Amino acid sequence: MNIPRIGDSQLRQEDFRFLTGRGTYIDDINLDGQVFAVVVRSPEAHAIIKTINTADALAVDGVLLVVTGKDWRDAGYGHIPSKSAVNKKRDGSPMNEPPRHALAIDRVRFVGEPVALVVAESLEAAQEAADLIDLDLETLPAVFEQRQARADGAPQIWDDIPGNLCLDFELGDKEGTDAAFAEADHVISLGVFNNRVTPAPIETRGVIADYDATSETFTLHNSTQNVHGNRDTMAQAVLGIPSEKLHHIAPDVGGGFGAKNSTYPEPLLMLHATRALGRPVKWINDRSGSQLGDTHGRDQYSTVELALKADGTFLALRTTTVGNIGAYCWTIGPFTPTGGSARTQGGPYRLPAMYYSAEAVFTNTQPTDPYRGAGRPEGSYMMERLVERAARQLGMDPLELRRKNLLTAEELPRKSPMGLDVDCGNFPIVFEQTLAMSDRPGFAARVAESAARGRKRGFAIAPYLECTGGGPKEHAGVTFSDDGRVRLAVGSQSTGMGHETALAQILAAQLGIAIENIDYVQGDTGATPIGGGHGGSRGMELGGNAVLQCAGEVIEKATALAAHLLQADADGIAFEDGLFRATATNRTLSMADVIAASLDPDRLPDDMSPGALDTASVFERGIISIPNGCHAAEVEVDPDTGVIDVVGFWVVDDFGTIINPMLADGQVMGGAVQGLGQALMEQIVYDADSGQLVTGSLMDYALPRADNVPHMELAYYEGAPTKKNPLGVKGAGEAGCCGAPPAIVNAVLDALNDLGVEDLEMPLTSEKVWRAIQDAKS
Amino acid sequence: MPQISITVNGEARSAECAETTLLSHFLREHLGLTGTHIGCDTSQCGACVVHVDGHTVKSCTMLALQAEGADVTTIEGLADGDTLHPMQDAFRRHHGLQCGFCTPGMVMTAVAIVRDNPDIDETGVREALEGNICRCTGYQGIVEAILDVAKTMRA
Repeated sequence: MNIPRIGDSQLRQEDFRFLTGRGTYIDDINLDGQVFAVVVRSPEAHAIIKTINTADALAVDGVLLVVTGKDWRDAGYGHIPSKSAVNKKRDGSPMNEPPRHALAIDRVRFVGEPVALVVAESLEAAQEAADLIDLDLETLPAVFEQRQARADGAPQIWDDIPGNLCLDFELGDKEGTDAAFAEADHVISLGVFNNRVTPAPIETRGVIADYDATSETFTLHNSTQNVHGNRDTMAQAVLGIPSEKLHHIAPDVGGGFGAKNSTYPEPLLMLHATRALGRPVKWINDRSGSQLGDTHGRDQYSTVELALKADGTFLALRTTTVGNIGAYCWTIGPFTPTGGSARTQGGPYRLPAMYYSAEAVFTNTQPTDPYRGAGRPEGSYMMERLVERAARQLGMDPLELRRKNLLTAEELPRKSPMGLDVDCGNFPIVFEQTLAMSDRPGFAARVAESAARGRKRGFAIAPYLECTGGGPKEHAGVTFSDDGRVRLAVGSQSTGMGHETALAQILAAQLGIAIENIDYVQGDTGATPIGGGHGGSRGMELGGNAVLQCAGEVIEKATALAAHLLQADADGIAFEDGLFRATATNRTLSMADVIAASLDPDRLPDDMSPGALDTASVFERGIISIPNGCHAAEVEVDPDTGVIDVVGFWVVDDFGTIINPMLADGQVMGGAVQGLGQALMEQIVYDADSGQLVTGSLMDYALPRADNVPHMELAYYEGAPTKKNPLGVKGAGEAGCCGAPPAIVNAVLDALNDLGVEDLEMPLTSEKVWRAIQDAKS
Repeated sequence: MPQISITVNGEARSAECAETTLLSHFLREHLGLTGTHIGCDTSQCGACVVHVDGHTVKSCTMLALQAEGADVTTIEGLADGDTLHPMQDAFRRHHGLQCGFCTPGMVMTAVAIVRDNPDIDETGVREALEGNICRCTGYQGIVEAILDVAKTMRA
């Protein structure tokens, strides 16, 4: 029997099934009588759909259904609304939100946009028929890059949206910031591009939809991160049915990182098809469909400016950014380059004035939506690149410049000029601890050793500050069975992070029961009345606190029952380490005893009935939390080839209370390596003329592999648990993506500093680095 | 359609499939062994790695027909009842998996790495994992698990 405590590196409950091949992912589910679907995608970036000839496809043996945009329109479905929290322009008018449907209706606007659905008795027949869908398209001029899309005379993606502008946005004190710049001794300016990447979970998306005509109810098995939110959007906004008519279930989900957050066309198409055919319809995306049809992330061009005093004191930060949101607003696309990046601007530094202005711009590309961090990694990258540039230009030590401007613990709590409530932390300690781990005294010898082999060695440190996000409420429900099993159902969702362990650990620790006896349930609209799913590093902050609160209510009820059983008053019962003790008599009962009694009518008082301890609880977050920390990287660059080797990586994070250090480590390292990928190798590339996706497979899109990644050393600062929530947690899931890109890029620039390389744009491919070295020579 | 007969996890199995059926699909769809996963179309990700006559094979690179008569081990064949294989156990202890999707291929590759070279070091392990992509863990737990098992084998 294993009763873990909060803070233990409890091994994972879910590992047994994942390690033995017994996980149930979407493609492992098959329903009787199921048929198979293929989505036909646009081969052009921008074109008028003149006709779609489906006759040949329908003639293929076994084909049951073909759906085109015209069919979709005629069915009268609603459009898929954006849920962006930033949804008004500067002047207060609504953002330009073009209608998004599951299929393009009369015009395609990006390569990969769904144009038709084919359903057949076999996958082979559906694939054959999909190839025979005859699209007659009239090509239109197209634009793929956001600054070009804003230029005069740029192709218009939406006829009624001039200048391709979804919305403009500002935050902060413009006048105060301008005044600070006017008085500054130094102004440092830098253009920064945050490259477009794709989340690329290794499990592609997939769906099985099943319609019961008798009850007029859909069951949708879907590899999604958010069953409740997407259920409501699909049912209410698109299908026009009550939410309870759509039972939405996520099985084991093979990674998400944001790519499985949004309301996609394909589940809606399968719902349409299953109702039309009266049979379950299965669709599993392939990898090229995933590269084309999963939402991308990042893609911001920014100009950042820092005003400083002569001694290096920061006075103000000014940011202008242009975000590429693709052809639609998608789910929350406009939020990321606006509010998403703005709110944590300035990071952990003392910045008296800040101003942020942004545009979210339509282009003929796959829309962008949240990818791990959704704006905070972009903000952190801007700031750290700018600070490093300032130190170089002013001839200051980059470490000293940061030390001078980091907020101290005594200056907290503080509301940042961006309105962010930074309550607690100790940024200088975290900074110094990271430096200590990275062995600065030995650096000079390592540089010399690298130089002896013809290599350039560099180092950089990147403090970051971010924030949590996602749905502000969470449900946790506990039910007890007389076989000793405890069912814990939570509306937050793990797509690999280990909630089945971490949330069960919180419950087990609070109640003093064995974690092995807890059956964890998530990702099912039938299991929890509400649920915020996965996103915004909310798992422990919302899910964890919901479980804590629920456990507290169970203990309260169990205390009353224990008092009855021990013939004592409730206030004469102490509960500790899973044991109820009558303080007057020292008689004890274990939680297991009390749970057993709660299911036995003979042992219950008159005012309780079996199941009396079953509890459902909703936790509501008051205010978002502020994870922060520091990443440091040491790199070696081969100047003859431009090849970069990240040879050292150190992280100290302040996530408040750590529920399970092993799982937190996993989040940090996984996030840091996604950040490393963005910094060094990942890039979504559209052909500049045709808008074809060049990086359409994992042959062309480089994901980090084990030999691209250094051994990482991690530590936590646990001296500042937040008081914003009872657990004191700050969120751990996305921090890795905030620290790694600036640490790595600045370390490479440090290595190449004496070769005259001053700037590099992510990803730092060997070709790009080699060219920069050659250019600097000439 | 040809009838394919192979030994999978010590058991003789036989099923009909099209000549073009890949071994990965044959295992999943014809034999119901869904532990072998498919994560890409281009033999990059390694989620489908199995052992064929002792060789580590991406099962999406091989036709089921080519496996006729072969001895195949999949992730389902690794544990001894409820007792995890030492590599599975090491992955659990070192947190070498998160979402679990790449894990079957990763574990099958890992088993072969230490079997073929128990003296392997960290650099060697990282290079040997080049054919398997994990998007969750950052690889460190996987590498530590493999080194741990190698160390135990040397002891």
